[in-house]
Amino acid sequence: MNSKKDNVGQPILSISEVTKHYPIREGALQRVVGHVRAVDGVSFDIFPGKTVGLVGESGCGKSTLGKVVSGLTDPTSGSVSYNFNNQLVSISNLEKNKFKNFRRNCQMVFQDSFASLNPRHLVCDIVGRPLKVYKEVSGYDLVEKVVSLLNQVGLGREHLYRYPHQFSGGQRQRISIARALALNPEIIILDEPTSALDVSVQAQILNLLNEIQKARNLAYLFVTHDLSVVRHMADSLVVMYLGKIAEAGETQAIFAKPYHPYTKALMDAKPSFDEGQNSKAKGLEGVVPDPARPPQGCRFHTRCSLATDKCGWEVDDVVRWLEDTPGMFESLTAVERKSEFSAVLSFSDESSAANLTQEMRSEKLPTSMRKALNQVKINEKNVQIEFEPVEEILLREKDGRHTACIIEPKN
Amino acid sequence: MMLDTSNQKKFVAKVDDLKVYFNSKRGTVHAVDGISFDVYKGETLGLVGETGCGKSVTGRSFLQLLPIPPGVLVGGSIIYNQQNNSSQRFETGSKPGFPNSRNFEFKKVDLLTLTGEEIRKIRGDSIAMIFQDPGKSLNPTLTIGAQLSEVFLQHRTEEILEMAGLGSEASGAIRRFASQRNRIFDKWLVNLSGNRSTKSRVEKAVADLVAKALSDTQVPNPVKLMDRYPHELSGGMKQRVMIAQALACNPDILIADEPTTALDVTVEARILDLIQELQQRRQTSVVYISHDLSLVRRICDRVAVMYAGRIVEIGTNNEIFKNPRHPYTIGLMKALPSADTARGELLAIPGNVPELINPPQMCRFFSRCAFATDKCKNQDPELEKVTNSHSVACFADVAEISGK
Repeated sequence: MNSKKDNVGQPILSISEVTKHYPIREGALQRVVGHVRAVDGVSFDIFPGKTVGLVGESGCGKSTLGKVVSGLTDPTSGSVSYNFNNQLVSISNLEKNKFKNFRRNCQMVFQDSFASLNPRHLVCDIVGRPLKVYKEVSGYDLVEKVVSLLNQVGLGREHLYRYPHQFSGGQRQRISIARALALNPEIIILDEPTSALDVSVQAQILNLLNEIQKARNLAYLFVTHDLSVVRHMADSLVVMYLGKIAEAGETQAIFAKPYHPYTKALMDAKPSFDEGQNSKAKGLEGVVPDPARPPQGCRFHTRCSLATDKCGWEVDDVVRWLEDTPGMFESLTAVERKSEFSAVLSFSDESSAANLTQEMRSEKLPTSMRKALNQVKINEKNVQIEFEPVEEILLREKDGRHTACIIEPKN
Repeated sequence: MMLDTSNQKKFVAKVDDLKVYFNSKRGTVHAVDGISFDVYKGETLGLVGETGCGKSVTGRSFLQLLPIPPGVLVGGSIIYNQQNNSSQRFETGSKPGFPNSRNFEFKKVDLLTLTGEEIRKIRGDSIAMIFQDPGKSLNPTLTIGAQLSEVFLQHRTEEILEMAGLGSEASGAIRRFASQRNRIFDKWLVNLSGNRSTKSRVEKAVADLVAKALSDTQVPNPVKLMDRYPHELSGGMKQRVMIAQALACNPDILIADEPTTALDVTVEARILDLIQELQQRRQTSVVYISHDLSLVRRICDRVAVMYAGRIVEIGTNNEIFKNPRHPYTIGLMKALPSADTARGELLAIPGNVPELINPPQMCRFFSRCAFATDKCKNQDPELEKVTNSHSVACFADVAEISGK
């Protein structure tokens, strides 16, 4: 911890190509039939004294990533490296002592303070527990240390011997923060720390977090879905969609001009308070695709308003479209996939198959999707569909910002 | 959207000095302590405030959904003004097959004093509610179709029978089947061979109504959706089903209790659009309960700000957000993180919401207020008019505060 000042130029935590897949098990033998790709190849660095904001919709993998980063779960592949005395060491294969060292330097504050504080323990025990575990102080000093921690978060000696239920939501969140600060960590992972709080209390907590950060040169990973909070708090921003980074870069720059359509959509969906009355909020059509079978090309193309024929339209899109069209999905009997982009759809009767081929050539299908179609062939009850195959869309760098979109941002 | 309420002060509901207390071990909690406001026809009234300020209790008391006991209705009234032009619906009120049916006139009624049977006819029919968490408020054991058909079976029996081509000559058992008032042998009776075809006709009619209600909320393929269970749907889709259910009977008042808090922002915007569109088409009044100021600013015509069981400020959207007069309202807006506030310099309101157990006769915002005087300590401010539509409950010099 004495090396804090030396490594300003170096990241304190480096996340490289982290993936986390959860197996889906089925049947009596609990065989693995697939994987939910919660996090799928994410890389970024966290620097001391800086805040990285991690935003995205629910189910995009942001909380899972928070857990991987803090070492609560192991990544499926990729690594999280922590800066031990100017050396980045992966945390997954650390020896016990070093891992303990990492744990004390990387703390977490959770969203739900009801669930994360033990209701049977006194505040004194909750905040003092890390100190006891790491044998920092004991006895009378322990109480004094806890009091000083409580003072830092705006609570006092009178709160020492109370139970969590005796506090309000904001105060409980303060207790969580005091516990996280107990071991003087270098990085704190804040998993939606204010989303359960009221605005007036949220402002208190955000101010408190900023104060502590300045005083201790802490690094934060701020996981949230609230863009106005992240705009206020974060130096750099990582926008996730369906397990991948859609856009990353400086917060100011991204808010000034979002490159990725998804980032833009997020901002349009929640105009900030200043923009005032009658500012129109625009939402997104459709739902997030199943993370067990994410699209091959761009993961956002199913909901993107700017999608082109190169964005990776595939067989699943046709099936999804069929599902929403009355009368068609019922007669679909089988989908035989050759790849993500080519398949044979079998129908129970010939008229449905003919109907589909006709509709696929008509205006009903999104134009970009129709353009991406290589061929639609009808063979009695079967329809063969082939899309133009595309490569996975990777993050590209432009003026220090990373965007995963094939469309060039307009100036 | 902006309805000129000044020349047609036609309220659909008038809340007058509503007081709801809760008995607890430590004393009486004054959850809602004397609030009054009107809901005008076709408007959206926002009810904003922090957790525990009594906004949900207010919303729920419209439909007698409060747990009583421990809750106690201490006083006040909610007068509901039945809009005559829009409804032939209560003609069915005294038809046979309705047990206990009386010829009560729905001109102006006090919702708080209605009996269980009477409020049941209003619930979901002329006053409906959308709840916060669609996952919790849909029954997981029933299909979407079955849940939605309940509304119609309860409130639209005659219409269903007519659609099924039965009219008034329907037998007692079928009529009871179509209004969900089955008696012991009815299940067996409707399944008799003579009744089976009429039964299926009734079922078909209900299914048609449900499908129409669902398609109004822009769900893709509503017929297929009816066979699904709530857990198969996404959050946004579930909320759409809730909205379909709430708006199924063309209510006069829709009470939306934080309908989008559990949803993602991208979905939220679409749900709000949907509510607004349906509201405009049907001239429904919406009471929108929320803690999200930016959202309320976007969609509401009038706004009531609540604090600790009281309304501290009420006015039109512009009056509240452009010219706030109460220190609490001002504080709330300053506490929102915006683009130009420097980091760590949010103006938080110090302290916490006071406990509402036997509160003393003083301004409830006193302990957190920057403009508090001795007068605030000894007297409880009442709502006083600033303009015709704008009222504030504060002693302080409002002009001085809003200058800051």
